Amino acid sequence: MSDQIVTLENATRSFPVPEGHRIYALRGIDLEVSRNEFLTLLGPSGCGKTTLLQAISGFIDLEKGRILIDGKDVTDVPPHRRPVNTVFQNYALFPHMSVGDNTGYALEIAGVPSAERRKRVAEALEMVGLKGLENRRPRQLSGGQQQRVALARAIIARPKLLLLDEPLSALDKNLREAMRIELKTLQHELGISFVFVTHDQEEALTMSDRVAVLNAGQIQQLGTPRAVYDEPATTFVATFVGASNLFEGSRDGNRVITQDGIAIQSNRPAATNAAVTALIRPEQFSLVAANDQPSLDIDVDQVVFVGSSFELLGHTAGGRKLTAMVPASGRQQIGAIEASRKARLYYDPASVHLIATPEAAE
Amino acid sequence: MSARSRQRLELGVLLTPATLFLIAFFVVPLVIMMVMSFLMPGLYGGAEWEFYPHNFGRILGFADPMFEEFDPVYLAIFWRSVRIAALTVLCTFLVCYPAAFQVARLPERWKNFCLFLIALPFFTSLIVRLFVWVLLLRQTGLINEVLLDLHLIDRPLDMIYTDGAIIVGMVYIYVPFMFLPIYASVEKLDWALVRASQDLGAGPVRTFLRVIFPLTLPGVIGGAIIVFIPALGNFVVPEVLGGAKVLMLGNLIEQQFLAARNWPFGSALAMLVMAAMLVALFIYVLTEGRRGSDPALGL
Amino acid sequence: MRIARTLGRGSLALYTIIFFGFIYLPLALIVVYSFNANPINMMTWSGFTTDWYLQVLGFKTKISENALYLESTDQLLAAVRNSLVIAASTTAIATVLGTALAIAIHRYYFFGKSFYRVLLFAPMLMPDIVLGIALLIFFVAIGAHLGLVTIIIGQCTFLISYVFIVVSARLAGMDRTLENASADLGANEWTTFRKVVLPQLMPGVLGGALLAFIISMDDLVITYFISGVDITTLPIFIFAMLRRGIKPEINAIAVMMLTFSFVVASLGLYFRSRQK
Repeated sequence: MSDQIVTLENATRSFPVPEGHRIYALRGIDLEVSRNEFLTLLGPSGCGKTTLLQAISGFIDLEKGRILIDGKDVTDVPPHRRPVNTVFQNYALFPHMSVGDNTGYALEIAGVPSAERRKRVAEALEMVGLKGLENRRPRQLSGGQQQRVALARAIIARPKLLLLDEPLSALDKNLREAMRIELKTLQHELGISFVFVTHDQEEALTMSDRVAVLNAGQIQQLGTPRAVYDEPATTFVATFVGASNLFEGSRDGNRVITQDGIAIQSNRPAATNAAVTALIRPEQFSLVAANDQPSLDIDVDQVVFVGSSFELLGHTAGGRKLTAMVPASGRQQIGAIEASRKARLYYDPASVHLIATPEAAE
Repeated sequence: MSARSRQRLELGVLLTPATLFLIAFFVVPLVIMMVMSFLMPGLYGGAEWEFYPHNFGRILGFADPMFEEFDPVYLAIFWRSVRIAALTVLCTFLVCYPAAFQVARLPERWKNFCLFLIALPFFTSLIVRLFVWVLLLRQTGLINEVLLDLHLIDRPLDMIYTDGAIIVGMVYIYVPFMFLPIYASVEKLDWALVRASQDLGAGPVRTFLRVIFPLTLPGVIGGAIIVFIPALGNFVVPEVLGGAKVLMLGNLIEQQFLAARNWPFGSALAMLVMAAMLVALFIYVLTEGRRGSDPALGL
Repeated sequence: MRIARTLGRGSLALYTIIFFGFIYLPLALIVVYSFNANPINMMTWSGFTTDWYLQVLGFKTKISENALYLESTDQLLAAVRNSLVIAASTTAIATVLGTALAIAIHRYYFFGKSFYRVLLFAPMLMPDIVLGIALLIFFVAIGAHLGLVTIIIGQCTFLISYVFIVVSARLAGMDRTLENASADLGANEWTTFRKVVLPQLMPGVLGGALLAFIISMDDLVITYFISGVDITTLPIFIFAMLRRGIKPEINAIAVMMLTFSFVVASLGLYFRSRQK
């Protein structure tokens, strides 16, 4: 029995557009999902994450490549025969059936006798916190409750894999945060893999074991949340996940020299490319020097008070825009900065991550 | 003049002519007909002003002992009409549903074109559309001609002047009536539900039976009602395609009015048709509660 | 597996084509056979001719010199004339009354409005035959002579409902803020109605009128009961001919009626689709 519950090899899929040509939703994607893993597909709209999800569940056919679920090639298997269940973005609860019938639908289809069905429906509903609501109709439930029914309905048949298509996007903020924790707990309890699609990077970072960042039909990076955040593989990942200050230039020893003459020091090893982009996250800047740290001088355009921190928006002498995030405890320096409209930002060269700039244009 | 009373005047101008017209020429005639159904038939046509329950009695079982024994033929005709109308509904449904389903899933341009094609026959005369089937189903009609030419049969088939011919004719006429409500229902269907059903393990057939059909049922019921009611009272189709052999409620009513000149009895029969219509509408309204609202059909 | 799916979808598409064939093939057939030169057996092809059309239109043809046919041409022309006169009259009346009703229901509040609105559906739902005999009884009871006028009145009872529905749909989709803008710019109610509401409403009114016209031309059952002995309309004429025995001229007449209906209906539907 392999470690991987899902394997995609060279998954490729395109669609015709009115202008005549085709756009590629999936470009030769290779992906492996491990057992008992919470994997998030993260990306902007149109990046292919939903297409990828639908390819796994079977609603979209692949032009090229194949899909294996639990070792079996399911590329040509229709969705109702795949051991995968989906929680749809708008829940897709059957309006003409009760909550209980909705939840037990998969069991009914599989021919499970009604007594056992009732028992398992009750268990599933209790598991998602909806005990006793079997006889209600979907339209009588709140959004959060409907979402839980969708969850219960999808997990009751113990699928090998659960797919979730932006399930939290329709919920309000507080509910969303509560559901994140619940989903994570549920995944642990059930012990099955969750593949979760979202465009919200905070969700991806807080919930996942691994994150796959997608753009334009390709996986730009696949790694743990920390790896994706601290060491983005491409500038896209760097800007999509978290805020960033990017310095594109060429390597000269342990410095990166940009075109407008800024030198960024970095002690990180880089690829053999001479062309690299240095990344400094706003929170990596500090107003206080420590141990000979290098610095950048900026003219401050705006100081934004965010509560637990201050956001400094400014630009270098050469006009390059920068963002820095400093803790609120630095109130005194902030006062001086607001008066002088200038700031000196220190950073630690050891934590300046380098991204190899691709040689050929995309 | 104040704004309020001017509004009233405007409303009056707009509303009154049509309302008066409808009361005079719709409500009143129906009321008169209802009254007539309880009157005694006059000797030479027309009616006597006397309460006479036997118009209904002849149908339902308590005939006027002075004139006749109870002849169940009227009930038989009624049931035959109901049967044929019901079969018409069933056949129209079977014919229309797959096509309406398919059309609802076509891209926009094709959809509109197909709707246009469906609506077009609706605007042609009933009699022309029926005429076609006479030509097709007759002993010397096209179907028999072709079958004989191909030597598939020895003698011409007996197709016209049967219950079947009537049903074929009525189905042909009422297809647009059934198609549009079903189409509207399928169009409103949330396809995510179909995907959800498949995702949970139901194949195409189970998904259809458990999800698609129940959710399109409102359209089907709507279509069934607007086919059943005219089918029940139809007299043209049985006359043209059924000949003298197959008598339906509509023919009976027509006879009473034009040939037999027994207007009270004819009115009673018409009341029967109206009663069936009200029952059908009642069922429709009852199921409305479960369905929610249904879009009004604007043709 | 994919083959099974494509087969399924393919057979549904095929069925739909057959379905439309079922609807239109018979009509196509009578068009074809209206050119059939066989005077005895209409559905056995013996050659192409336009004689039946010429016959119907009043010209002498080789096919038959029987005087009976001439007579029927006069009757036919009378029927056509009656149908057109009736249709024009009913369209005018029903359009005016139906539009007035639509505006009243849509724009004003009054006691029993929703009830009334539902009641307006009654003439359309009522089986033809019931309405027909009710009108017959009524007209006889008040001593009216059955003729053109009674037919016009009788048809209007349900045509008003049709117009009402079409115009209502149009009203529902209209933008009220345009009228507010008009009032804001100084126009009184009547001017606003004339210059803003009516032009917008026109497509709906025309659509309703067209609908009323066609339904009136095609009406058989109700007209049948209240037309009396003097007046025949086109559908009744054909119905009577069918009863007496099928002659090839019926075919030609039917095709001409079909063509007329199709052209008018296409125009109507075309305009409606453009207004959306």
